[in-house]
Amino acid sequence: MALPLLLLSLMATGLPDRSWAASPVELARLELQRNPEGLLLNFDTRFDLPAGVEGALQRGVSLYFVAEVQVLRSRWYWFDRQVLEVRRTWRLSYQPLTFNFRVSFGGLSQTYATLPEALRSVQRASRWRIAEAGVVEDDSPHTVVFQYRLDADQLPRPLQISIAGRSEWQLAVERTITLPAER
Amino acid sequence: MTRRSLRWTLLVATLAAGATALVLAFLLSLATGNRELYERHFGWILWVNIAVAILLGLVILIALGHLARRMRHGKFGSRLLLKMAAIFAFVGAVPGLLIYGVSYQFVSRSIESWFDVEVEDALEAGLNLGRGTLQLLANDVGQKTRVAVEQRAAELGRQNPLLALERLRQQLGAQSVALLGPQGQLLASSGGDLGVTLLPPRPSASLLRQARQSRVTAVLDGLDDDRPNPTKGAPAAAVQASVRVLAWLPSSDYSLLRDDRFLQVTTPIAPELAGNALRVQHAYLAYQQLALGRQGLRKMYIGTLTLTLILGVFAALLMAAALGHQIGRPLVMLAEGVRRVARGDLSRTEVFASRDELGGLTRAFADMTRQLGDSHSIVQRSLAEVESAKTHLQTLLDNLSSGVILFDAAGRIGTVNPGAGRILRVPLDDLRGRFLADVPDLATLAAEVEARFTAHAQELEPGSAAASDHWQATLELGGGGPVDASAGARTVLLLRGAYLPDGARLVIVDDITDVVSAQRSVAWAEVARRVAHEIKNPLTPIQLSAERLEHKLGPRLSGPDQQMLERCVRTIVAQVQAMKTLVNEFRDYARLPAAKLQPLDLNALVGEVLGLYAAPQEQGQLRAGLGSGLPPILGDASQLRQVIHNLVQNGLDAVADRPDGRVQLRTEALRDGEGRLRAVRLKVCDNGPGFAETLLKRAFEPYVTTKAKGTGLGLAVVRKIVEEHGARIRLGNLADETQEAGTSSALNGAEVSISFSRWSADPGEPYLVAPASPAATVPPS
Repeated sequence: MALPLLLLSLMATGLPDRSWAASPVELARLELQRNPEGLLLNFDTRFDLPAGVEGALQRGVSLYFVAEVQVLRSRWYWFDRQVLEVRRTWRLSYQPLTFNFRVSFGGLSQTYATLPEALRSVQRASRWRIAEAGVVEDDSPHTVVFQYRLDADQLPRPLQISIAGRSEWQLAVERTITLPAER
Repeated sequence: MTRRSLRWTLLVATLAAGATALVLAFLLSLATGNRELYERHFGWILWVNIAVAILLGLVILIALGHLARRMRHGKFGSRLLLKMAAIFAFVGAVPGLLIYGVSYQFVSRSIESWFDVEVEDALEAGLNLGRGTLQLLANDVGQKTRVAVEQRAAELGRQNPLLALERLRQQLGAQSVALLGPQGQLLASSGGDLGVTLLPPRPSASLLRQARQSRVTAVLDGLDDDRPNPTKGAPAAAVQASVRVLAWLPSSDYSLLRDDRFLQVTTPIAPELAGNALRVQHAYLAYQQLALGRQGLRKMYIGTLTLTLILGVFAALLMAAALGHQIGRPLVMLAEGVRRVARGDLSRTEVFASRDELGGLTRAFADMTRQLGDSHSIVQRSLAEVESAKTHLQTLLDNLSSGVILFDAAGRIGTVNPGAGRILRVPLDDLRGRFLADVPDLATLAAEVEARFTAHAQELEPGSAAASDHWQATLELGGGGPVDASAGARTVLLLRGAYLPDGARLVIVDDITDVVSAQRSVAWAEVARRVAHEIKNPLTPIQLSAERLEHKLGPRLSGPDQQMLERCVRTIVAQVQAMKTLVNEFRDYARLPAAKLQPLDLNALVGEVLGLYAAPQEQGQLRAGLGSGLPPILGDASQLRQVIHNLVQNGLDAVADRPDGRVQLRTEALRDGEGRLRAVRLKVCDNGPGFAETLLKRAFEPYVTTKAKGTGLGLAVVRKIVEEHGARIRLGNLADETQEAGTSSALNGAEVSISFSRWSADPGEPYLVAPASPAATVPPS
């Protein structure tokens, strides 16, 4: 874990603007890279599903995990301009017929025999190209807001009402880093 | 006002209708059991309803505040409005609450009843059954594959295993058979639906590892249910499930260099089986989800119900307020109108424009108010008329020269006019409310009036039609007792009395002193004329006879007889002459010719007359002061000459026995504040004894004189002439003024002044000068 933190501190000069120590989700790694292909993002989160959430999963509720990145360009005279916003959504579901866990990501889906395996596949992403080259200009610093969370809005409505206000369903982490200008 | 309230009512009704429509949509989705639709739209419908509820609540709050303000200000009708609104709200809200209670119980019970242990167990059992069957199938295929692989291990180990694979596929009845390398890469394959294009999926590393450990491993493919909400019955058609068996081929003994290889056998599963299994799984999952969201569902339905209740109650409240307002308004209007009428304001009242009974009531009330107002104004008008008539009468009474006294039934003086006070010489305040007999100096009058009324009453008693309806009497009121009649400073009153209805009595008093005096003058003139005529005729024969007697008998007599005859005849002649003079004076008085008025200079006339009194002037007894700027007056020169003559002679007579006697004659022009001529005055005053108090009133009557030898006709003639000239004559004594000045009473005297108010309009016009008249030289008789 020391290495990712080191990497992070190398890559992101900004300090995290809010504490996530109390959050059940730990953001182990968050990296931004500029290269000729564009802007690449690597992240890795660590968390276990709380008992209630896992129970719901076992009973057939599909869980949606969302990673969202916003790139903001600061403006001194007005609100920051949103340069881009991208998101990735994973769907994790359980198949009681085959005891399999299934992760759908975009049009792809993969089956895992165990929950930890399936969870690992949704907890991280590497070389996620969040922007084409040139979209994010490198002549000025940008603020990058990264957010990873369990999306409760896509749960069935009655369940949403049932779990409203329960903290174990609030799996989320947010981090703001600064993308320095390169010139 | 009506339009506005109508608009309000419409607005509220629209709001309520909109809210109700939303609620109905809710209930409809609930009733049709389209739970997905319901759940999908639950969020925004909830918020819209909450918004509507808040809006309605705000409107109600505003209305309540409005009502509270009106009540605090004691505005009329607010209590009635509140009452009606409360009643309507009660009627609207109570059934809503009842329905809510029942529905609440119903919903919570029915949601609970959806979940049943038996159903859950059955679903789980079905799932287990499907799972077991599939597992059994997989194990079976795995077992067969293991056997086949053991049989054909050698065959598969050859260079070209395609034939072996094909045989194996046929033996196992598999869809496809493939030979895989140690990392799962495809080495050779047989079968497949569409040839080589659809290769069996490459196994994962964990699967390979598992196969190496247990020689054969089987997995189920195509049983994934990716759709979040599959529709019923649909899965079966699309299911392409299969059993995939991965068998480890140990490297053959003779080729050590060779790596491990795997045989992958894919066998299809009957679609019915797979479909049924999937359906069971789906039902199980759906049930589990429902059970998980049970609390949420309950909250949703109860929340919907509660919201409906709130909306309903709010709408009922608003409708109640609007309806109460609508119904109560005519009543409030009526009550307001009644209050205004009670205050006395009879102006137009508002009419509630509706055709129902309340509208009719307000119309009837407006009619009534209008009629009241009309009659009120009529009464007012007649009152004003009466008032003006009364004022008119009062003015008449006040300005009447006659005295009017009205006695009430008890005999007290009720109404009395200023004329009465003037005539009776008593202040009005002393008369009002008293008995006439109690007023000082009027006892005689009271007795007379009382006696007359008594007599009149007796006269009226028989009820004869001939009897007059009033009585009349004259009464002389004297200052003090019956003194000498000729010196009477008395007032002659004419009294008339009549009974009025209700026992009141009316007495009218007229002062006829002047009338009596005038009558007396006329009578005297007539007497004088006749006496003069009768006496004058025998006088001349008497004188002639006496002179003839003296002429005939004188020579014959001698001595004392002749002297006696002469003396007697002289006496007779002298007396006859005196009698002639007297008779002429009488005749002159009675036959004074009418004055011929011509412009004349008064000063010149005075000077002419004074020319006859040279002696007194030289002695200083007579002095004249002639004013300047006198306009020519209109007058008869000869008559005026006599007036001046008489006055001067009277004055000289009055001071004849005084050594310091003095008579003054003055003329002057009287002007008012603006310099306009008011009168021309001739004034004669002396310092003689003056007029006696009793004489003043009757000085102008003939035969009233203080002189031993006077006929008493001088002043009477003067007055007659003055009156013919339209002038005024005034007699007075100087005594009052001089005594006040502190001088002795010996200086008092008489003053006679004559004011002429007729003069020639144009002073520049030439006028007759008095000396032109030849009569000027004639001395007074």
